[in-house]
Amino acid sequence: MAYQLYRNTTLGNSLQESLDELIQTQQITPQLALQVLLQFDKAINTALANRVRNRVNFKGSLNTYRFCDNVWTFVLNDVEFREVTDLVKVDKVKIVACDGKSEGDAAGLGSTGTPSSGVAVERRVFRPASH
Amino acid sequence: MKPKLYKSVIEDVINEVRELFLDEGVDEQVLLELKTLWENKLMQSKAVEGFHTEEQAALQAAQQQQQQQQQQQQVQQVQQVTQPAQTQQQQVIVQDPKILQHMSATGMVSECTYRITSWSPLLLCLSGQILQVVRAPNGAQYIIQQPQQQILLQQQMQPGGVQAPVIQQVLAPLQGGLPQQTGVIIQPQQIVLTPGNKVQGNTQVSAATAAQVQQAQGAAAPQAAVQPQAQQQPQPQAQPQPQPQQPPMMLQVDGPGDTSSEEDEDEEEEYDEDEEEEKDKDGGEDGQVEEEPLNSGDDVSDEEDQELFDTENVVVCQYDKIHRSKNKWKFHLKDGIMNLNGRDYVFSKAIGDAEW
Repeated sequence: MAYQLYRNTTLGNSLQESLDELIQTQQITPQLALQVLLQFDKAINTALANRVRNRVNFKGSLNTYRFCDNVWTFVLNDVEFREVTDLVKVDKVKIVACDGKSEGDAAGLGSTGTPSSGVAVERRVFRPASH
Repeated sequence: MKPKLYKSVIEDVINEVRELFLDEGVDEQVLLELKTLWENKLMQSKAVEGFHTEEQAALQAAQQQQQQQQQQQQVQQVQQVTQPAQTQQQQVIVQDPKILQHMSATGMVSECTYRITSWSPLLLCLSGQILQVVRAPNGAQYIIQQPQQQILLQQQMQPGGVQAPVIQQVLAPLQGGLPQQTGVIIQPQQIVLTPGNKVQGNTQVSAATAAQVQQAQGAAAPQAAVQPQAQQQPQPQAQPQPQPQQPPMMLQVDGPGDTSSEEDEDEEEEYDEDEEEEKDKDGGEDGQVEEEPLNSGDDVSDEEDQELFDTENVVVCQYDKIHRSKNKWKFHLKDGIMNLNGRDYVFSKAIGDAEW
């Protein structure tokens, strides 16, 4: 299973909202919506890995850091993001990063659905049936 | 780059779930609806540029049409305004052309609101008296009539901008109810003044303005209809006496609350004293964009100087290596989606430094 990390992005949120609307009007079942989200996870992970090829540098000051369940969460202040073409400055940014070395078992989060903090991996536990 | 990426993701997902939909017995139509909803939301978020160029072009075309209509209305108003300039009309009603246009077109207030906020602070009435728009603590703007100053009438008309109020002499109350909406910035676009009356009779003002506002709001009648009515009324109402219905009073031109709301009364009276105190409270009451700058001084948290976005900037990614030496941190990240200042960016690799 792919990380559910990317559900809290513009792309992911708009998908979830759209699915919610369809559920409201009872055009789809929640079960189906969940399947769609899982499919989205796969698609976005693949797309990012294969279709994106650019580098970004950033610099700032670290305000807080947290490492829990193999997920890093940072809050940085006064950050500059630099790409070859342009420069973006922000006063505050939150970075949520899952372990990139191994594909985490994100199935455990099926119940929570939309982790607002972006934590995609709760535990590295083998579960009998990934949801 | 990004639009293509997102579009390809959408296509992939939709195609993959098509089977799932069919298995569940859900119609293909629903699938298409999902796709449409999804794409529309993406467009609305403006996080991605040039997502759907065709739709954007259509939107722009629609907007241009609207602007043209507004310009026409402005022209009409200018002509009508000049007429009564001769007579000593003491009642002035200012109408926002946009409002009326929307009123006639949609009858909705919500569309008007965000345009209303940019009123020029100084209005000159036709009779040559300077009206000063004062911002009350609650953000409401009240017209204070300066006594007996002969000044040339000036009108601020911005071509196509439609931001400056057009001064007209319309005395007839417009029909229509007041569509109430929470968080609506401004209701009344009409200010009615009579000579010799200052903004003292607050109760009268509010009551009258409420009446006026209600009449002005939701005025389905086009401006043209309003004009002839207005001209008929001026004479009987030239009297300086504030009449129960006709308010020689100030209408709340702009501001967070309706004139119909009771709060205005009190706030109007106290605005001198409580200007500082009430700012904060009132700013929180409504979701007006205009009021935020006023209250920004009270904010504790930092606001972004460069861009005025609410977005919390988030980066969602995976980490390759996180390194720390004393208080120097190094980040090696990959496959990330960033939302900075409201816009989306992606990267395959990101390297960063920070000091803790």
